[in-house]
Amino acid sequence: MAHYNFDTEVNAKKHFITAMEVKYGKEWGSNKQADDIQQTTAKYLRLGTAQNPRKMEMAKIGAEITKKRGLQAYDPLLHLAGIPLGQRQLTPYTLGGTDIVCDGDDLHYVNNAAMQQEWDDIRRTCVVGLDLAHETLEKRLGKEVTPESINYYLEVLNHAMPGAAIVQEHMVETHPAMVDDCYVKVFTGDDALKDELDPQFVIDVDKMFRPDHAAQIKASMGKASFQAVHIPTVVSRTADGGQTSRWMAMQVGMSFISAYHMCAGEAAVADLAFTAKHAGLVEMSEMLPARRARGPNEPGGLSFGHMCDIVQTSRKFRDDPCKIALETCAAAMMLYDQIWLGGYMSGGVGFTMYATAAYTNNTVDDNLYADTEHGWDTFGTSIGNCKEPSIDIIRDIGTWGALYGLELYENYPTALEDHFGGSQRATVISTATGAACAITTGNSNAGLSAWYLSMYLHKEAHGRLGFFGYDLQDQCGATNVFSYQSDEGLLAEMRGANYPNYAMNVGHQGGYTTVCTGGYTGRGDGFAINPLVKTCFADDLMNFDFVEVRECFGKGALREYDRCAGERAFVIPAK
Amino acid sequence: MAYKPQYYAGNTIVAQNRRNHMSNNVQKVREISDEDLTACLGHRAPGSDYPSTHPPLAEMGEPDCPIRQIVTPTAGTAAGDRVRYVQWADSMYNAPAVPYWRSYHAAMNHRGVDPGTLSGRQVVEARERDMEAVAKEQMETDMTCPGLAGLRGATVHGHSCRLQEDGVMFDMIDRRRLEGDVIIQDKDQVGVPLDRKVNLGKPMTTEEANKKTTFYRVGNVAYRDDPEAIEWCQKVWELRTLYGYQPK
Repeated sequence: MAHYNFDTEVNAKKHFITAMEVKYGKEWGSNKQADDIQQTTAKYLRLGTAQNPRKMEMAKIGAEITKKRGLQAYDPLLHLAGIPLGQRQLTPYTLGGTDIVCDGDDLHYVNNAAMQQEWDDIRRTCVVGLDLAHETLEKRLGKEVTPESINYYLEVLNHAMPGAAIVQEHMVETHPAMVDDCYVKVFTGDDALKDELDPQFVIDVDKMFRPDHAAQIKASMGKASFQAVHIPTVVSRTADGGQTSRWMAMQVGMSFISAYHMCAGEAAVADLAFTAKHAGLVEMSEMLPARRARGPNEPGGLSFGHMCDIVQTSRKFRDDPCKIALETCAAAMMLYDQIWLGGYMSGGVGFTMYATAAYTNNTVDDNLYADTEHGWDTFGTSIGNCKEPSIDIIRDIGTWGALYGLELYENYPTALEDHFGGSQRATVISTATGAACAITTGNSNAGLSAWYLSMYLHKEAHGRLGFFGYDLQDQCGATNVFSYQSDEGLLAEMRGANYPNYAMNVGHQGGYTTVCTGGYTGRGDGFAINPLVKTCFADDLMNFDFVEVRECFGKGALREYDRCAGERAFVIPAK
Repeated sequence: MAYKPQYYAGNTIVAQNRRNHMSNNVQKVREISDEDLTACLGHRAPGSDYPSTHPPLAEMGEPDCPIRQIVTPTAGTAAGDRVRYVQWADSMYNAPAVPYWRSYHAAMNHRGVDPGTLSGRQVVEARERDMEAVAKEQMETDMTCPGLAGLRGATVHGHSCRLQEDGVMFDMIDRRRLEGDVIIQDKDQVGVPLDRKVNLGKPMTTEEANKKTTFYRVGNVAYRDDPEAIEWCQKVWELRTLYGYQPK
């Protein structure tokens, strides 16, 4: 057994220190702390909710609601039989990688419109192939498909997709003001076809990606053509993720009928419908088994690989794999923890705190940059120049990252207080360690292996890890990490929120996604597992900003996010 | 040669303390009366009888069974006690106990216990008088510092917070505090006020806590300074990993 070399510690920059000084050293509400938090012994002030402006706003509005409806509503004095929140300092959070500071409450998805829109934009999206439909039109019906006919079809489709009548005048229609976020674009690996299509309809891979990534994506797609469909947010919210492909397929079918002058009831329509609903369909997530009772395009069926490809940071920050991983971490942590596990699976509000630790105050950032620097320096690797994984490499990075992360909490009491639960700390350290190992090796399963070693070391060093669940999955996970046998293991990118050992892992699923991100960004690749998903979201018209996820969350927290969709204000009385 | 169990790897005082907890090699350093213990736990009035969920086993006419012949019921089981809990929060600033070692101590040295281990708290559920035996042992010995650990049934966090200005672990509900040179507790585990102040004894000095702790941390005994403990952990990880990697 090789011995770990403890002399290779690098002196990484402490990215989180500034955030800690903001959190604990600046005035926030009625808190008046000393600036020099390193040298001060401060008294616990037990100021209650009065110390925090957002809590005071919530209390005021809660009282107004109670009065208006004559029924008890929010009152912070009801907490714990009269002991209100705020017996310790109620502190703000800095969004990682930004200078945005906000209250913790504003990072709950209910209070944050940007977070809601992230999930809306994923759930309302699907990709559907064009080629099978064109074959039906040409070979079965003898129709001529040309770039001109495709352009006309797309014109029709962008009228119809939001819910407009296209074949029969007696149909009612959705109001365009309610569905202005709905549209369809196309993308293809066929440059000749692309050049002949109306640019308004095209996601141009060559313009949206670096040349090497574009070449990789186009080679993977071949000459095939695809439609990137985003149905209206208000439709998706009213129904469920399964509605996305149903709504899309109905409008696609009717648009083909109209654009290609088909008979509305002829049998060939069934071929087009089958193509749109099944044969040519790529959904963002798989349908779940009956015991989970969820259709497709719900978060439980969203693979980590698809989540990696939905996030677009790699298009603009190819040379900073840590930045890509951190933005992906934020998007995935929010979705899998707050919305999937916290909303669909469990209920309650506590899951927010697991997610928040992963994208605030630059702690994961500090760990990840340090761990990656260690991996690169130790093994002489760089982007696109990875080292084949081995037990020795994983042991080295897994141990180094775990000890670095543990000692960060030991050396900085504010960091320990910020991540007040072991589950938060365990996820933060293992996410950074695992992602750094994946970046160094270009292998996400190697990253997962480092994750588990990190968890083992964490438990032993501090004599504690997370809640009970951490002792389940994080003790047995190492045994399935390299197995690809059915029911035992899988390529990490193809694992997902409902993978057997991961299905109840609060604080883990976003971390695993981050590890997968490390794999493809370490290799310098343009996508993680699905070039269609990566290209579909390479579109600035999307409401949510999948490049700068954390900044988008911050705008939501500050109530400055203005790309919301699915609002009902147009059809209800003005306040 | 008599077998001497080797419970835990490591060559430091922290590793030795961990072995001490596992083998119950702990020292009694304070006295907590039965009534004070009962008050702190908050499950029944001090001095009252144990509520029961079934008659004593001896009166139940249990079926003839080889397992029953092998296993002697614990005192609480024989009497039909309720299952109740004791739950601790231990500071990460060199408290003598850490959650896993409280669990190991309970599971290795007591029968009929159901330990649960989390990051901020550690719970043992057992028949009430059996649970009290565990609680009393852990309260009275050097595996507990009253300033760095506390009984907490609700709102347990504080283990990771900076110590208060007087060196005591933060408690949102203020169940216990430093008065003079001793820690007193005047609320039960879930914060219901007591009719007494229970003297939990003197908190350990920083130097004492550093010697008694089972927590690895920089500034005292860093984990990286105990290579044997790390290498043992790495070996467990490696063997589990290779066992699962069988591409047949």
